[in-house]
Amino acid sequence: MASNFRSAQGANKRKTYFLLAAMGILTWLVAYAALTYFGAGTTSFVVPLAVGIALVGVWGSYYGSDKLVLTMTGARVIQREDNPELFNLIEEVLVASGLPMPKVAIVDDTAPNAFATGRNPDHALIAFTTRILEVMDRDELQGVIAHEMSHVANRDTLVSAVAATTAGAIAILSDFLTRMMWFGGGRDRRDSNQNPLLLIVSLVIMILAPIAAMLLRSAISRRRESLADATAVSFTRNPAGLRRALETLAADSTVVRQRSNAVAHIWIESPLDGKSVSKLFSTHPPIEERIETLRAMESLGPQQ
Amino acid sequence: MEIFVVIGVSALLAIFIVAQYNRLIRLNISVDEAFAQIEVQLKRRADLIPNLVETVKGYATHEQSTFDAVVSARAKATSATGVADVAAADGALTQALRGLLAVAEAYPDLKASSNFLALQEELSTTENKVAFARQFYNDNVRSLNEAVATIPTSFFAGLAKVSAREFYEIEDPQSREVPKVTF
Repeated sequence: MASNFRSAQGANKRKTYFLLAAMGILTWLVAYAALTYFGAGTTSFVVPLAVGIALVGVWGSYYGSDKLVLTMTGARVIQREDNPELFNLIEEVLVASGLPMPKVAIVDDTAPNAFATGRNPDHALIAFTTRILEVMDRDELQGVIAHEMSHVANRDTLVSAVAATTAGAIAILSDFLTRMMWFGGGRDRRDSNQNPLLLIVSLVIMILAPIAAMLLRSAISRRRESLADATAVSFTRNPAGLRRALETLAADSTVVRQRSNAVAHIWIESPLDGKSVSKLFSTHPPIEERIETLRAMESLGPQQ
Repeated sequence: MEIFVVIGVSALLAIFIVAQYNRLIRLNISVDEAFAQIEVQLKRRADLIPNLVETVKGYATHEQSTFDAVVSARAKATSATGVADVAAADGALTQALRGLLAVAEAYPDLKASSNFLALQEELSTTENKVAFARQFYNDNVRSLNEAVATIPTSFFAGLAKVSAREFYEIEDPQSREVPKVTF
């Protein structure tokens, strides 16, 4: 069904809330499983420890995301004089969105791609590969910039940091607990006669939780990408520009020579090979699906 | 015991009223800011025009009526105040500029000159910014008018002295045109 950008924005936001709530429930389930299996003493020590480790790990990269990503991708910040036309285009999107000026960076790469990061709109950074600036015309590039600025407007660095923290905490927790199980230690009430079925269920939860957390995390990332596409259209009111840009990206088979897989999710087009990653684990919706959604918006005609 | 319930309920009520009031005031201010943004972009465009006219004049000497139209539309645009007036003058200037650029099409030397190319890039980005500023303003007016018309904010519009605002609409025959469909 064709949907305009407003209903698309609403749907993607609702789905994000739903997925974040599911993350919360999953965390609670793991804590509950630990409680059942190991008892209150161990759990009250292990759960805060896992959450603490995950928080420290993610918070640093969230807070310094603009600077960290620069080193991880080899991007260099440029000024207005270096590319006045690009800055003109960015300023157009800023006028349309009411956002402040981000830092702008260039990545020397033969693959067309772009990304946005930064903990809030005042510390935002958007980057483009040298190739994307060569292959895209004005309208296409405006669509890409609008998509990146949408990530900034929707605070996607924060959303993905929250998702990463929860998924990380669950992974660490599950790791601790399964290790403790192999070594047989830690159970406060080893000889108490607990329901064996409950113990087995707890065991299964602890083992499967990290995978479930990873699936939820990718699902959140996919929803944020669709949301950014819809928000981009709300800025430019020109779905055709972004649609043509995505078609260009889909047609180009070169992939960013990135230095780290850790930043794969921030690019506009996933730099990981789509075929090798299952759809459930991928951080981006299939590009054909995004193109179809935008085409459906175009068919609605000019929107106010 | 009852006294605490009364205090609690009235505190919640006060918070609710303040929140609605502040929302209306904030929306109203963002409409003002959005209108200021339109004026900034219109001023930028007006500043580009003398330079553009001079450049075109250097190559196209027999187009005096087009130049006059642009110059007089610019004068009207820079002196207009109020949403409706600014919008009308803006629409007229947009039209006149299109005429000027159409004239430029007929002069290959002009189109090839680096000065003109630079001006053209500046003008097209400014036109886009003007269009986006209008759109941003209208979006803000839309949220404000929605808040003024819908419950619960509508109850506090009088108290906040906030009322529905005017949309920024320009007369642009080109955008009104129904696209031709051929089968």
